[in-house]
Amino acid sequence: MPEQNKSKIALWWRNLNVKHSLGLSLILLVLTTVLYFALQPNLFKSGTVSHLLTSNFRTWLPVILVTVGQAIVILGGGLDLSNGAIVSVGNVILALTVTTVDEPGKNILMVLVVIAFGIAAGFLNGFFTAYLGLQPVIITFASSFVYSGLALLLLPSPGGNIPREYTTFYRSTQFLGIPLALIVIVLIALIWTFFRRRKYGQFLFAVGGNDKAAYTTGVPVTWVKISTYVISGFLASLAAISYTLLTGSGLSSSGDDMTLASVTGAVLGGISMSGGAGSVLGAIFGGIVLGNIRNIISTLKLNSWWRTLVNALLIVLVLAGPGLINLLRRKKK
Amino acid sequence: MNDTNIQNKKRFTISPPVTALIIALVLFLLSGLLPNGFNDWASALRQAMNILRLASFIAIIGAGQTLVIISGGEGIDLSAGSLVSVGALITYILINGNNNLILPVLLLVLLTGAFVGLLNGLGIMHLKISPFVMTLGMSGVVQGTVILLTKGYYDGKVAPIMTQIIARDLVPGIPGMIFVWIIIGILMTLLLERTRYGKELFAIGVNRVTARLSGVRVTRMVVLTYVIAGALAAFAGFLLVGYTQNAGPNLGNQYLFPSIIAVAIGGTQMSGGKGSYFGTIAGAIVIQLITSLLTTMQLPQALQQIIFGSLLLGILVVYGRDKSLRA
Amino acid sequence: MKSIVLCTENIEKRFGGVIALKDGSIEIRPGEVLALVGSNGSGKSTLTKVITGVLSSDGGTITYHDKPVSYSNPMAAQRAGIMAVYQELSLIPSLTVAQNIWLANEPKTRFGSIDSKTMNAETAKLLTLFEGTFQPSLHPEAYVRDLPLDERQIVEILKAYSRKPEVLILDEATASLDSKQVNCLFDLIQLLKSEDKGLVFVSHRMDEIFRIADRAVILRNGKTVGEVLIADSNEDEIVHLMVGSNVGLTRELGGRMTFSAQESVLIVEDLENEQLNGVSFNIKQGELVGIGGLRGQGQSSLLHTLFGNSHYTGKITLFDETLSFDHPKEAIEHGVALIPGDRATEGLLLLRSIFENFHLPNWAKYCRPLLKMKSAHSDAEEMGKQLNLIMESLDAPVSSLSGGNAQKVVIGKWLLREPKLLLLDDPTKGVDVGTKSEFYKLLVKLQENGTTILFYSSDEQELLDLCERVLVMQDGKVKADLSGDNLTEANLVFHSMGATNNNNHHEESTHA
Repeated sequence: MPEQNKSKIALWWRNLNVKHSLGLSLILLVLTTVLYFALQPNLFKSGTVSHLLTSNFRTWLPVILVTVGQAIVILGGGLDLSNGAIVSVGNVILALTVTTVDEPGKNILMVLVVIAFGIAAGFLNGFFTAYLGLQPVIITFASSFVYSGLALLLLPSPGGNIPREYTTFYRSTQFLGIPLALIVIVLIALIWTFFRRRKYGQFLFAVGGNDKAAYTTGVPVTWVKISTYVISGFLASLAAISYTLLTGSGLSSSGDDMTLASVTGAVLGGISMSGGAGSVLGAIFGGIVLGNIRNIISTLKLNSWWRTLVNALLIVLVLAGPGLINLLRRKKK
Repeated sequence: MNDTNIQNKKRFTISPPVTALIIALVLFLLSGLLPNGFNDWASALRQAMNILRLASFIAIIGAGQTLVIISGGEGIDLSAGSLVSVGALITYILINGNNNLILPVLLLVLLTGAFVGLLNGLGIMHLKISPFVMTLGMSGVVQGTVILLTKGYYDGKVAPIMTQIIARDLVPGIPGMIFVWIIIGILMTLLLERTRYGKELFAIGVNRVTARLSGVRVTRMVVLTYVIAGALAAFAGFLLVGYTQNAGPNLGNQYLFPSIIAVAIGGTQMSGGKGSYFGTIAGAIVIQLITSLLTTMQLPQALQQIIFGSLLLGILVVYGRDKSLRA
Repeated sequence: MKSIVLCTENIEKRFGGVIALKDGSIEIRPGEVLALVGSNGSGKSTLTKVITGVLSSDGGTITYHDKPVSYSNPMAAQRAGIMAVYQELSLIPSLTVAQNIWLANEPKTRFGSIDSKTMNAETAKLLTLFEGTFQPSLHPEAYVRDLPLDERQIVEILKAYSRKPEVLILDEATASLDSKQVNCLFDLIQLLKSEDKGLVFVSHRMDEIFRIADRAVILRNGKTVGEVLIADSNEDEIVHLMVGSNVGLTRELGGRMTFSAQESVLIVEDLENEQLNGVSFNIKQGELVGIGGLRGQGQSSLLHTLFGNSHYTGKITLFDETLSFDHPKEAIEHGVALIPGDRATEGLLLLRSIFENFHLPNWAKYCRPLLKMKSAHSDAEEMGKQLNLIMESLDAPVSSLSGGNAQKVVIGKWLLREPKLLLLDDPTKGVDVGTKSEFYKLLVKLQENGTTILFYSSDEQELLDLCERVLVMQDGKVKADLSGDNLTEANLVFHSMGATNNNNHHEESTHA
């Protein structure tokens, strides 16, 4: 019977929305993807789609990674305004040190240094906010200046040259026809699914939902909160690596725009800014939607003078979205 | 007075603004010891005036910031930097060397700043967007609008009267800007200490529930504060261009973070409810001295950012002991 | 007599200068239900919170399994097997019922991930304990945020039960449950009793105490004043122990006045919102009317609604004008003042000076447009003197004052406006005796000057001493309107507790 079918779909949809807050971000994902492809002139030529996928995912990967990190911090009830600056530091370190393929040992070491920096910076954020109990927004804002200052100190003017072999590796590595960037994204999603089903996932949502209640129930609230900043720092360092491989060079302000983009991506992915509700899968979708929208804007061949304004307006509108919806709902009542 | 035991037995405490001024003095004397520092009274005075003049811009951009931070609720205005640029650009382009246009252009500058502030305030109070995120986003919108409108090309000239008042010495040895600063300082202090707006501003910064239950219209107050802060930032741009004689779309950005640190150094609590404009003035002088010291010691600009960032973290940890900042 | 699983001796707890508990002594025995009884502020909740590690004690000993213990946080107590169900729920709204029940105690699969299937199945099993008493919307995978209060309370109870406690404390756990749900809870308690667990039952409902408890310990003013075997006792005896020798005390300050001839200045009809279920009453010019009842029955909400601080449906007529305030400012302009219940979070600006706190609602008076500081200062000085405020100076931060003096500032800021209708939300909570008596005199003086006063207090004695009329509230309704000879402590307590036994207190006092 069609009725029963309908209710099954309705139930699935409801579940998707209530359990994972994924409904809206899924609609946006489909809509923007369809629109994006519809705007491609050579869509039906062979190879176009796969080429687009490959080039897009490798461009989006850094933002998707920081968005996932931001989402985890927000899920735990915080906010990380320093993730962009961590990306900058990582990018600068790599650009300065990875100059030749002849020293693979040193290169790997530097990658590890970047990751260690991300984790340490994240831990510092977590220590100040969760352990000392200070406001996350202003603390991460202040620490972002320390980190971006460090990036500027290391590399005052753009430069650095990553060996072509490495950028080619990032650009063209495929596994079973799936581009490297997409594999990383899928891996992140899998790791998330793994942890989501363990104690850690449960604790994260409990702390973001109501930290006092979680504390009285026996959840190690401080450690969970610190861990979210550490994860965000770690993912920011991965974003730095992929960004460096993407551009092949260093720029001390490379991560500046990523901070707001990560918040925007998280909101697009259905993560509630007040914490405790949402899904990392949504954040990934949100990051992709953001990339799609930016691509659509650029295929519209807007006059380049418009670009900054349109991007900024987009961000403000997305941030205003949940509030606007609430306002309208209340008016209706 | 029937209570005789109410004597002035004030405990010996130094307020943050006074501490900041003492630090400023020490830093200033230290800078004199540097190889290319001052070696006589005249050059010391000249140096001091120069520092004060540069500090005045930080402090005036910090004026609106002081109000917003006092208003509490994690209040901050990260759009102030781009508003300074906008104020400067509007002035530069529209006045174009014509003294008669000063007043109408000034009005337009103030209205532009107020309008952006209004959007900030409405977004924060009605759409419940975190002030950091909202004002950071608006900063991008403002910058984007500037790029769109100027298309990268702008030309103009500051009015001669402005140059006369702001950039030159009004009294021999004392730049006119210092007088402008003193007037703004007096007005800001009156606004905070001697008006109903100021008293209610402190109230909403400390405790919005108490304020509401005492008849303060909290939403209206917050929105109004962002409007004033926007107008003040744009006005700072108007003054700044009078000094630099040249505008650019990124003119104001370098002042944003220094102005926030200046407010924090001056003892204004980042969580709101406590602070003074006098403190911001003292903080601005300290910030300018640190900047000048680093410059004379030929240390890179980046170090300044790291120092300022660590300074803010340190202040937050020290003042953070106060319960009201804790979650 | 059975052995003792946990006992407390002479527990003391002070909050600042206020003594909440002087001598809390109870013995919990396995397989027995101990009822903890006492009126508002007698120290019941404080005592239970000390036992479960939520509060630290200032004196006395706790012995658990024959060893002295003291828990610094609730987790430690839980690990030792002491669990409590509080009124303020410890649930996380954004998680499901099953996730809440098993939080930090999750069953795991062989692979170390959370075994949702087992978790949901176990939860479903637990829910059968309350079968038939809740909506089908309550199931293991339902989100707690979507549940009504009573169902949340059930989840809270099951959460504690699932952790297999040795000692289970139920603090007002029945307050939001209906009678069927209470029956299920009692079955559960019987089950735990048969497993030789120690149970503490804190309730204001007398009938429940007689149904489920084996013994009762009565607390009065922070002291254990008696212990009775329920089988050998009756409601009267317990009420007498609760109120002590105060029964029959009448108003000391001024004589009770009659207001029948006066005109009503405040008429409230069918006030409803989330906390109020149709409140109607009227108050005459110059009357001092008390609001009584157990804590949290809508008293604060009523005062806040009258003050324009919450939305409502219904009709409020004040001084012959039908009102629809949507901000306290409008109420203030109509001569209404509210002295809120929580000084620190609702009444004061702790970082600011005494002077600024006094004038927060009054600055408009001094606008020229710069504020006339001298005249504001002398007015504040005057008010400080009038209230006998002990302070270093007007410019000292209000946080430097003691509790009683700080409360004077909250009162003073409204007296400066000379309000026509004064609303008080439990204003003497945590105030020392001296300040209290000053405060009583002040209220009487205000009343003599024609101020109409509506006064909620959780201290029954205070209502009896001061008011000529008391409205007793329960479940967001005015349950009884006591005045004249009906206004006795026994009556007040009886109506507050919703006591059901058919004695004459009840009959006499209910006004039609």
